Formats: sequence, C-alpha cells, structure tokens
Amino acid sequence: MGDRRRRRCLAAAATVAGLMFATAACGSGSDRAGSSDPNTLEVWTRSNPDSAATYDRVFAAFTKKTGIKIDYQPVINFDQQLQSRASTKDLPDVMINDTALMGSYQSQGLLKPIDPASIAGGDRITDKSWSSTVGIDGKHYGIPYSRQAQALMIRTDWLKKLGLKAPKTWQEMLSVAKAFATEDPDGDGKADTYGIVAPASAQNGYAAWWGASFLWQGGAQIIEADGKGTYTPAMDSAAAVNAVTWMKDNLFCGKKGVVQPGAITAVTATATNFQDGNAGMYMTGPYNITTFDATPGKDTYEVVPAPAGPAGGDVLADGENVYLGAKTGKDEQELALASFLVSAEGQKIAMTSVDGHQPVVRIPVNSTLDAAKVRNDARWSVVQKAYEDASEQFPNAPDFAPIKQDTADALNAIFTYCGGDVRSQLKELNDTLAGDLKDQDLLK
Amino acid sequence: MTATVPAPAARKGMGRRAFDKKAVVPWLFLAPGLLLALVFKFWPMAKGIWLSFFDVRPFLGDKWIGLENYSRVLTDHRFQDAIGHTLILGMGQSVGAILLGFALALLLEGQARSLKFLRTAVFLPAVTATAVVGELWRLMYYPTSDGLLNSGLHFFGLGTVQFLDNPDIALYSTMVMGIWIWAPYNMVIFLAGLAGVDRSLYEAAAMDGVSLWQRLRFVTLPAIRPALMIVLTLATIRGLRVFTEVYVLTGGGPAGSTDVWMTRAYTLGFTRNDIGGASAASVVLLCVTLLLTVLVNHLRTRGEAR
Repeated sequence: MGDRRRRRCLAAAATVAGLMFATAACGSGSDRAGSSDPNTLEVWTRSNPDSAATYDRVFAAFTKKTGIKIDYQPVINFDQQLQSRASTKDLPDVMINDTALMGSYQSQGLLKPIDPASIAGGDRITDKSWSSTVGIDGKHYGIPYSRQAQALMIRTDWLKKLGLKAPKTWQEMLSVAKAFATEDPDGDGKADTYGIVAPASAQNGYAAWWGASFLWQGGAQIIEADGKGTYTPAMDSAAAVNAVTWMKDNLFCGKKGVVQPGAITAVTATATNFQDGNAGMYMTGPYNITTFDATPGKDTYEVVPAPAGPAGGDVLADGENVYLGAKTGKDEQELALASFLVSAEGQKIAMTSVDGHQPVVRIPVNSTLDAAKVRNDARWSVVQKAYEDASEQFPNAPDFAPIKQDTADALNAIFTYCGGDVRSQLKELNDTLAGDLKDQDLLK
Repeated sequence: MTATVPAPAARKGMGRRAFDKKAVVPWLFLAPGLLLALVFKFWPMAKGIWLSFFDVRPFLGDKWIGLENYSRVLTDHRFQDAIGHTLILGMGQSVGAILLGFALALLLEGQARSLKFLRTAVFLPAVTATAVVGELWRLMYYPTSDGLLNSGLHFFGLGTVQFLDNPDIALYSTMVMGIWIWAPYNMVIFLAGLAGVDRSLYEAAAMDGVSLWQRLRFVTLPAIRPALMIVLTLATIRGLRVFTEVYVLTGGGPAGSTDVWMTRAYTLGFTRNDIGGASAASVVLLCVTLLLTVLVNHLRTRGEAR
C-alpha cells in the first residue's frame, strides 16, 4: 500500500508541474528520434509502469510479426500531456485511451476518421462496440480495444459471518451495507468497518462516473439523444430526482458508515477502503480484480452483478479505444497496428498477466474470445455478461467532458449539503447542461 | 580654448568603448540562463496570453473570440466563489505562516548545536513535496477516531470532526496545512534577518529595562523589516497561486468549498479541455499577482524612504 500511495503522490506532483502556461509549453519534444521514420510509430497509452509492462509485450509481438517499430510512451497524465502536444500540432501516431474522451478529442480535431472495413478482422468486433466509436458526424473516430462494465465486489467472508446473502436490489444492498457498518463483520470488536466504497469527489468528474450506474438503475439519463444528432439534458426528470434522492438520503446523509468516511472528497486513488479491508462492497471496474486478489485476497470476496434499482440493473460500461492522431502520414502502419491490437492474438497477449503485471485488455472486443476462458477465471464472465446485457455508456459523440464535470459538481454538492432541495438543485444542473450542449451546438 | 573642447569628447568615447567591453562579459555569463528563461518561461507565457483570446482548437484552427474567454471566466459564479476562497486561503495562510515562522525564528535563534538540529527538523516540511505532505495530512485529518487528530479529540472526550468533508471547515483545514508547510520557510528568512540584529541594541534595551514586548516592537521588528518585506512579497504571490495544497488535499471539494482560482483554471483547462478559458483565467491571475507585487514593493520603498 505504501508503494501505491507513493506512486499516487508522484502522479499528483507531476500533474501539478503541468500548470498555468504548461498548456502552451513545448510538450515533450516534437522532433523525437524516429518520428520521421515511416517504419516507426509513436504510440501513447494512459498507463502506469505496471500496465506499461504488458503493453511492452504486445508491441514486441507486433514488431516481431511486421517489422514495424514502436516508440512506446506510457503516459500517466495523458490528457494534460496530449493537450500540450496538440498545441505544438505534433501528435503521437497512435493513442490508446478512454472511450468517453473520443467526443472531446474529435471536437478538437485531434483524430483521424477510421473506416471499419480497413481494419483486418474488424468484422469480429461486435456492432455494440463499433457503435460506441461513431462521432458526431457519423464517422468512426476510434477502434474499440478493451471493454469493461462495473460489477459489485463484495466480501463473502463478511456475508457468511453475518449470515447474509449478496444483495440483488438497492434495498438489500442498503441493509447489507448497514449490517457491515454496525455488526462488526471483521470480528475485531471495534466499529471500524463500512458498507460501500464511494469515490464521490467532483474532482475529474468522479461523482458522475461512479454515480452513473445508480442513475441508470433508477431510470434516469444525464442527456438524451433524439436520434437526429441533437441532445436534451434530462437530469430534471422524476426518475433522476428519485435516484439522486435515494443516494443522498441513504448513502451520504443516512446512517453513518453506509459509505466510507471521507467519501465526498474521495477519488478512486484515495478510496482504498475495500483493499484496506475495512469496507465490504465496492461497485467498480474489473481492472481492480488483480489488485483485490492481492488484498483483501482472492478467496475473501466475489464479483457479482450490480444490485438492481427500480428500473433495472444497468451499469456503466466503458473501456479504451485505439485512436489515430490527425495529420500523420503513416496510415498503412497505423492500420496494421490497429488490426493487430484487435486480433485474437493481440488481445490475448494483452489479457494475460505476466509477473503479476496488470493486463490491459479487460473484456476483449474480439468476439471470438471469451474473457473467462482466456483467463481461466469464472468471475470474468460476470463482467462480460454485464457488459453485453446490462450496461450503458456515456454518449461518445458529444464532448462529454464538461457534461460529466458539471454533473459531478452538482452531485457532489447535493451529497455534501444534506439539507438541500434535490429537485431544485437538479433543475439548476439541467440548465447548466443545456448550456454545455448549446456551447457545442447540440442542444435540441 | 578651442583645443580643449574635443578632448573631453574623445575621452568620453574611449570610456564608452571600455564600458562596452566590460558590459559584454556579464551578459555572456547570463546568456544561458536568459535563453532558458526565454524558451521555458517568457515564450510560453506570451503564448498563454495569446491563446487567452482564442477558442483553442489546435487542429481545426484557433478561433479569435476577443475578450469572450475573460468575460466568461469573470462572470462564472464558480470563479467568483473561487476568488473569495483564494483570498481567504491566501491571506490566512500568509499571515499564519508569517506569525508562526516569526515565532519559530525567535525560539530557535542562536548558535547552540541542539538548535541547529531542531531548526533542521522544523525546516523539513518546506523541503518535502507538497503532494507528500498532503497525503500525510489527509491521514491526520481522517474523519473517524482512527485519524491522528480525531483520536486526540476523542481522547479529550470530544466528538470526531469532519475536517475535510465538512464544507464549512474544509477551507480552514487546508489553511492549517498551508501554514504548517510555509512557516519554516519564512522562519529561515527571519533567522537570517535576526542574525543581522545588532546585539548591543538588546543590551542597551535591557539596561533601559524595557519589557519583552517593547524590545520586540522597537528593536527586533525594525531590524528585520527587510526580511519581513521579502516574506510578505513571497507570501502574497504564493497565496494567490495556491494550488498544490488544495489539489492534493480536497481537489476543490466538497461541493466546491475549497475551490481556488488555480484549481478552477486547472479544471477548466484539463478536465473540460477549454484551453482558451484556462489561459484567460491564468492571465487574470498573473495580472493580479503583478499588481499586488508592485503594490507591496511600492509600500516597501515608501516605508524605507520614511
């Protein structure tokens, strides 16, 4: 844990270094060796050194197969670094980053459009995955690379000790959470356990990211597409008011200990209570499985589908796409790399963990592969099933970054001030969202 | 008489040539530094100012929008709230760190070996990365009786305090950490100032039988005035562009209650990808900082003239 914290600190310190006018600064060298060599691709991924080790294996296999060299840069502060590179109009050739950022990048003109037919094996990617890379103008701007959906991680040893079952509905989840908080499931005689981990800070939009599953389970939408390319904000709907009120009354302003202390200022990096062993449930992505297998330990918890709300059990799905940087003249090599990345071979290498390094593909986009089979781990089928049958994604076509940030700001404020009026606060959020859409000329 | 006229002119010309040669050398030594500053400081700064007038879209072509970024930033109620927070945090942090730094300097001034050790220990926060300090304070502020500060309160039979999660307290909790970080830094400057105080003045004051307060007021304070001014200038600048402390401790939350000018600019630039707006916000901050620095300097020179 100490090591993780240190890494986080380093990340924070590095972020801070990119301040003020760094946006206009020179990036990390526009004339790096090899960038002019047509047979070398500069590839960026948003990775720490741990997952970078997995990418190294993937790219080594690609180079061995095609002879195309890869100048690989794992970047922790991906967005900041990319913005500074963009300001020098010199982008990496290929980037692998979050799906939800596609609209943002496309609106800035950073991406090259992609013809799915030009990707060898592109037909093995499901329509659902391909549909998530369609931009505002109907063209594809990314190639699906890895997918994931949230699932509930829950301490089975605690459930067993208290004679409870894994929850299937919000109400059951709440009573399990209360039991975890009050009935001393770890048996140390102290009231130092909590029900659910919630990274609900507004920083980086976490509250909206984590809360999105609850919104969908409550039947709410943040913005709604009308099918004609425009959108309406929908956070003032009755469903949204009900879902947010439920979260506020029960999780943040209800009984103590239902969520971990400090939840409203927690980001995922600081919400470590599940792995520290003092919280019993965490709705999060499957990338944490590797982490949680180490602590609290593989046999102490299980992965189950998210408890259903009044409108069902849909969870947030996201993942990563392969993006091709605008204005580089290496189309052929780039497409070769993209084809390799989504091939069964490429995906398999990226899905396996060597020396305990984090795999970088969670649920394969290649439909010939089965996550549970490749990993020989049945828990992955829970996640794959959730992604295929019960998941939603943030809209990818608009620039979702401001929408997510404003939603997170509002949710964080609602959860902070327990005396506030949810309906009027959401109405205010809705007006803000309308403004965001209008800025993008997407308001219906 | 006519013969004497060209002579001084010629001498003057020679003098200037000699002056030129001498003048080149220091500039040569300065050149690498200046060049670095030009490339890494002034050029990006100029570009930042330039970008603040655009809707920045590097690959689609930046769109000139004049002062729209500025009006948008200045009318945004969250930026307006952030100004308030920045002022409270900046001033509280500066004043607190100056008072504490001065107190520490008075306590730890002297030649004894043990004092040297103590001074080093006290100075540690100033040389530790703020991100690390933030992580430490986050643990100290932990909102249950497991947290260091709350376990102390618990010991005295007081309830737990939500230092960072209560929007009414979070800003002040951040301020306390800021004071803790910056006080030792100020202490060092004060120590340097105190070292220059003429000891005989203390002796004279002691002969006159003045009180401790009078000694501080009439001997120590006037003597360390230059040090105080340096500390004040630095604190003003630092106070306004406070970022790291807030970013690592609360990230601006909860509910924006600790959002300061720089964290807003950061969110605008890096999570909303609005580079133009973020540049405008930074330029506003630059102007205010410049103004305040000039003001403090002006007050200083006026004070010295008096």
